[in-house]
Amino acid sequence: MTALRRDNLGPGVVVFLLICGGCVASWFLVQPALSGTVAPGYDIERMVLYYSTLPRLATALLAGAALALSGALFQQVLRNPLADPTTLGVSAGANLALVVTSLFMPVLLGAGRDLVALVGSAAAAAIVIGLGARRGFSPYSLVLSGLVLSLWCGGLSAILIYLNQRYLASLFIWGAGSLAQQSWVIPVSLIWKIVPVAIVCILVIRPLSLLDLGESSSSSLGVKLVRLRIVAVACAVSLAAFVTSAVGVIGFIGLVAPTLARLSGARRPVQLILWSPLIGASLLFLADSVLQLVAGGLGDFLPTGAVTAIFGSPLLLALLPWLRVRHRVQHAAAVHERQRRWGVGKPATVALASVVVIVALGLFVGRGPGGVWSVPSGEFSNDILAIRTPKVFAALASGAMLGVAGTILQRLTGNEMASPEVLGISAGATFGVAIALFAVAPGFVGQFAFAAVGAITVLAVILLSSRRSNFAPERVLMAGIALSAMVDAVVGVLSSTGDPRAVLLMRWISGSTYMVDGQTATMELAIGAVLIAIALSARRWLDILPLGPAPSSAVGVQLARSRLALFGLAGLMTAAATLTVGPLSFVGLMGPHLAREAGLKRALPQMIGAALIGGGLMVLADLIGRTAVAPYQIPAGLVSALIGAPCLMILLGKGR
Amino acid sequence: MQISRRSLLNGAAAAAAAVSIPAPLLAGAGGQRIVSLDYGLASTLLSLGVQPVGISDLADWNKWVVEPEMPSSVVDIGSSHEVDLEVLIQLKPDIILTTPYLDQLLPRLQPIAKILRLEIFTPDGGPILPAAISATRKLASGLGREKEAEQFLTRSDAFFESCRARLAGRTLPPVALASFMDARHARIYSAPGLFHNALERIGIRNAWTRQSNYWGFETIGIEELSTITDREARLIIFEPVPPDVLPKLAESPLWQTLPFSRPGHVSVVPPALMFGMVNEAMRFAGLVTDVLDHDA
Repeated sequence: MTALRRDNLGPGVVVFLLICGGCVASWFLVQPALSGTVAPGYDIERMVLYYSTLPRLATALLAGAALALSGALFQQVLRNPLADPTTLGVSAGANLALVVTSLFMPVLLGAGRDLVALVGSAAAAAIVIGLGARRGFSPYSLVLSGLVLSLWCGGLSAILIYLNQRYLASLFIWGAGSLAQQSWVIPVSLIWKIVPVAIVCILVIRPLSLLDLGESSSSSLGVKLVRLRIVAVACAVSLAAFVTSAVGVIGFIGLVAPTLARLSGARRPVQLILWSPLIGASLLFLADSVLQLVAGGLGDFLPTGAVTAIFGSPLLLALLPWLRVRHRVQHAAAVHERQRRWGVGKPATVALASVVVIVALGLFVGRGPGGVWSVPSGEFSNDILAIRTPKVFAALASGAMLGVAGTILQRLTGNEMASPEVLGISAGATFGVAIALFAVAPGFVGQFAFAAVGAITVLAVILLSSRRSNFAPERVLMAGIALSAMVDAVVGVLSSTGDPRAVLLMRWISGSTYMVDGQTATMELAIGAVLIAIALSARRWLDILPLGPAPSSAVGVQLARSRLALFGLAGLMTAAATLTVGPLSFVGLMGPHLAREAGLKRALPQMIGAALIGGGLMVLADLIGRTAVAPYQIPAGLVSALIGAPCLMILLGKGR
Repeated sequence: MQISRRSLLNGAAAAAAAVSIPAPLLAGAGGQRIVSLDYGLASTLLSLGVQPVGISDLADWNKWVVEPEMPSSVVDIGSSHEVDLEVLIQLKPDIILTTPYLDQLLPRLQPIAKILRLEIFTPDGGPILPAAISATRKLASGLGREKEAEQFLTRSDAFFESCRARLAGRTLPPVALASFMDARHARIYSAPGLFHNALERIGIRNAWTRQSNYWGFETIGIEELSTITDREARLIIFEPVPPDVLPKLAESPLWQTLPFSRPGHVSVVPPALMFGMVNEAMRFAGLVTDVLDHDA
């Protein structure tokens, strides 16, 4: 009993402090309107208080609670401290639905923006859960397919925004999560949607806590695992969908609130699910009221969702060394072993041949004025080849590097979600470019320098912050995710202020090879060759390290040093690739997976396979992006996500 | 026989040339082939009597610029941020018009043709309309079209004066200019932007007095419209307006309290380009004048 009370004290104090802070801040907001004398007739200050300020604060409380509850449920069910409402692609699905609707069926938006977003997120959740069901809801495969879908939806909506940027400016705001209100409609409707779901949650809390005992033991207790997970996930998905469709993406709360609850002492599932919503509500309440005060002073528009992430992610980084990562039971399904269907030779040969064909196509196929398909000939052929060749080879080198980097990260962390983007290196480079664009506005070389500094800084921060944990995989991934979220947030803020420079940033983020010239491509090829060669020579480490600490030490591999070296190598490769073709994380996630699915399991064949697949994919993506809607260009990074994600989903679905 | 056949062929070739050539030959200033990477510069070119061979973002011209009409022979060279260099090379341009906004493209453009870089929207550039006027003169002198430029600027002056005259002798309300992004957010246009300058030029006060970024707009939550205290202020909304915005606003008690929500105090007008030059300022001034002239 005393233990229970001590467990609850920490989260209680956190909630109390956050609420106090929020009340103080919101008092400053509310007070001017209250102190004024009530003028007869037109009293705009009071109207703003009743119909804008107060509904906004109520929305903050509700949205915070719902997101945190959703995050806590996901983390509980997926048994993954990194899971949060966005991991299942709910918000990306909603976003895509909004983009598509506003472009092709604007009439439907009139019928209800919320409804459209809800349909999109439900569809996304259904796909992810459908794929997850085929693998018996293995926590990892669920998260992985969610992430893939999320990237796919994100890529597609980015392309649509990109091609119609000025029309869809509002989606920047929507994506960045603004809490601005002009009536009580949204908070009231949120209550009606959240309360029933919360009741269902209360009903499933106890059986959920049994889940935490691990798969086999709770099965023996007779808990209908699959059904319970479906209910819990459905609750979490609908909570996130309600909030997202009402006010946009405020993703970080769903990750931060359960983490805070855990750090402040809530350990049991029941406690986590009870305290997380309270912490989430008070956190968003505090954040939004402070934001309103600050924004009022600056006279600038700041979307809350993006700003909470800007402040939330460094907080998470700072908390990281103290985060207790439980040793979870490793599941059989997580490392999915399969019979090798072919030898190593056949898939490698097929991959190599395809890469050669794709490169040739990339060099010789294009479209002229008026969109005529053509092969370069006559007076312009040299000029045109001079434009295409660097793009093709830079794409090849970058894709290959990302593939190898992804292989290293996945083998090292034992986490299927690991990819260069999750590590946050590419996010760091993007951040560097963002600073360059908005603060200094240098030329092309300057942007390059900033990107490099950003990438290397992130790498250093990750390595330093995870050194204490001996580079435990979860810490490194968490640091990467925190940084990525921060970069996303900064970009969100910049975009929703409507500054036209945001378009430049968008292009860079979407992974365009447009700016690559001969010199860059040469450097890229050289760096790629050297780094990949080093990685291939480290194959022994990569075969041994995934077996775990004990076997590695037993055969004389120095754990910390080899991990540091490999992380460093993956980071460098990511930075080099990101510098020329943007943060094209998807290839880094896809290359290793496709290689493994093709039967390349050991380190050396998997790396070679991933390099070929990654390189070929990038070149193909570049070709498609250059020609599909010429003279307008779709960035190669987005195209690669669109080609690769369905492939990966099909493979995931088949994998049984 | 041979001679007659050759003359026949020559005649046919000449006829074919006469049919296929006209646009580009009539177009250039002194036969120069010009490509514009900016809407404002492209429309200014037309006003100087010069037809570009290609412009960027041509596909969206009618969505944003509308006037003057772009001739159908002009080639689309893709997004201004990522001009299709392969198409650009094949157009064989002599001059490429660009702005500081697209400076990062310069290294790729310089080998292709002579660059004419005109500054209109710059962080410390001040009011946009005067900057656009001086950019027009600079463009004209770069193309040897000074006379046409002065004629065009005189025409535009006369147009602004005619707007001013149409509104003269009335008590004009201050006007707020906005584009709605969704039912909760809007962009509002103010100093030092093009729309603000054009308002001043025709003698109308901008109801939104706060300075904005150097592009001349600011993103706000709709409740911030309540900071406009003048009860007589008018709100002019530019198309495109997302379809759910007006119905949702009508339901909002806060919106109903705003002076704009009264009948006759809000108008929706066709699109006008906020990031343009003199032509766009004229189109804007015409639209606003029509609105105010109509309801008085």
